[in-house]
Amino acid sequence: MKKVFRRSLAAGMLVALTVAISLHGQEIKLGNQAVQVHGFGTQGLIYTNDNNWLTMNTSAGSVKFTDVGLNLGSQISRKVRAAAQGYDRSLGQLGKWHPQFDFYMLDVRPKPWLGFRGGKVKTVLGLYTDTQDMDFDHTFALLPQSIYPIDMRDSSIAHVGGDIYGTERLAHNLGSLTYTAYGGHRSDSKYSGYPYLLTNIAPGVHIYLTSYSGPVYGGDLRWNTPVPGLTVGVSRQNEDISGVGTLSIPAAGVSGVPYNEKSFQDWTNWFYGKYTKNRLHIEAEDKRYYQAKDIFSSTAWFYADTRGWYVSGGFRINKWLEAGSYYSHYRIFIGGADLVANGPALNFNYTDPQKRDNDKVVTAKITFNQYVTLKVEGHFMAGNGLATYPDGFYTSVNPLGLADNTNALIVRTGFNF
Amino acid sequence: MKKILSVFMLLAAASVLAVCAQAQVIVIANPSVKADVITKNDLRGVFTGNAITLKDGSQVVPILLRDGAAHEEFLLAYIGKDDAAYRAGWRSILFSGQGMMPKTLDSEAAVVEVVKHTAGAIGYIERTTPHEGVKVLAVR
Repeated sequence: MKKVFRRSLAAGMLVALTVAISLHGQEIKLGNQAVQVHGFGTQGLIYTNDNNWLTMNTSAGSVKFTDVGLNLGSQISRKVRAAAQGYDRSLGQLGKWHPQFDFYMLDVRPKPWLGFRGGKVKTVLGLYTDTQDMDFDHTFALLPQSIYPIDMRDSSIAHVGGDIYGTERLAHNLGSLTYTAYGGHRSDSKYSGYPYLLTNIAPGVHIYLTSYSGPVYGGDLRWNTPVPGLTVGVSRQNEDISGVGTLSIPAAGVSGVPYNEKSFQDWTNWFYGKYTKNRLHIEAEDKRYYQAKDIFSSTAWFYADTRGWYVSGGFRINKWLEAGSYYSHYRIFIGGADLVANGPALNFNYTDPQKRDNDKVVTAKITFNQYVTLKVEGHFMAGNGLATYPDGFYTSVNPLGLADNTNALIVRTGFNF
Repeated sequence: MKKILSVFMLLAAASVLAVCAQAQVIVIANPSVKADVITKNDLRGVFTGNAITLKDGSQVVPILLRDGAAHEEFLLAYIGKDDAAYRAGWRSILFSGQGMMPKTLDSEAAVVEVVKHTAGAIGYIERTTPHEGVKVLAVR
């Protein structure tokens, strides 16, 4: 593992440095039109003392933690902009180098308080949904998984549709409000966390989704307060997601039977705040995701109420070194009709490692220059979520069962230009 | 002990002199920008991509220097970030699809030329750099 780690880290940093220095954020000409070209990439290693995490064989050390992105953009006129971004990743059993568009869109902003984006657009949800891959801009190698599960990136990163957005100053020096309202369609890759979970949803039971998609709409409102560096906000999203595929239970001679599922309640509430002053930054977010759906072609129902929050902070010690820490808290409540009517059971076992995951994290971030960063991060997790829900710990890569607690070391290098 | 104190005082004096010798940065704008005064908050908002207008409603376009003493001083005085963190903030806007990287130029003479010929442009240079054809905004 050590040799693999050293080679991968060295290779990752060499590539990062070479690419960043040589490309330097290029501007090219297409006819008379100037087009900016930018990109980013990361290479990481995760080692866990117990349990395999995020579909990787992390207990032996895994370097299947790579992503890259390429961005093209052009200011067509003062109020019109076109941009597109491609993205690809390998995260254990997910991604598997199947590239996709993060966005492709036209942005028309006739007024500061009124703009329109159309095409495939990144979704504004909480502080960091639309920038969760921007490793260079975050203190942490992994954002709090209670709020930003990297294995479920596809579920919230973008929608095909349109946004209305804008920023308006408030009177009496009360800061400004930035709003976004959107509507469209979400479609998850079959190489994302939920389809992967279903391939081994229970011993001997396999569901292979061919599509997982549906309409999505929502909004975000953030107040850039009169206190310099303080922003607070709220997001809300509603969805109606359907999954189509096939079911196989080899031991029962069941193969290729049509499977479908459909949500009939599917919403997210999200509150957040961030404070930045000089070298210090502090963030806190609270997110609740509720989904009630028909499964197995409406022969059963499944309800999941996931609640997560975190508090984080970072301090830049000097030009090169930043230290950070966060506490992330995650609970999942599942059930049947009683959950819908009454909320989580009064006798819910809050200490059950299945149904919770609390993560204490410490990080050191080294910024070599504006192009290259390196992070070393420790995670100390109590709990392992739920085996039948995509929250980081999958039975497919933990066939002997899950230990209650997991400690992880992450080393992640990244470049951007 | 006396020697250490003397060395310390010499170093402190050198630091003060170094600060005094640093570029004194001024904010310049295209004559189409109506405002003559800009607040620090507005300046910070425009140059971090959080705002595209000034308080008087003028739509502005930031022009950056790639590096140099004037750039460093501007970031320290008005943005509160070092260059790496500052560029990272702009790249987050870029990679989230919410904007583009502002025009970034290699010399202060180039900044003056672009600001002079671009409606709404706003930039920063050393006070001693020739800047005919642009207006200077007071920062308060």
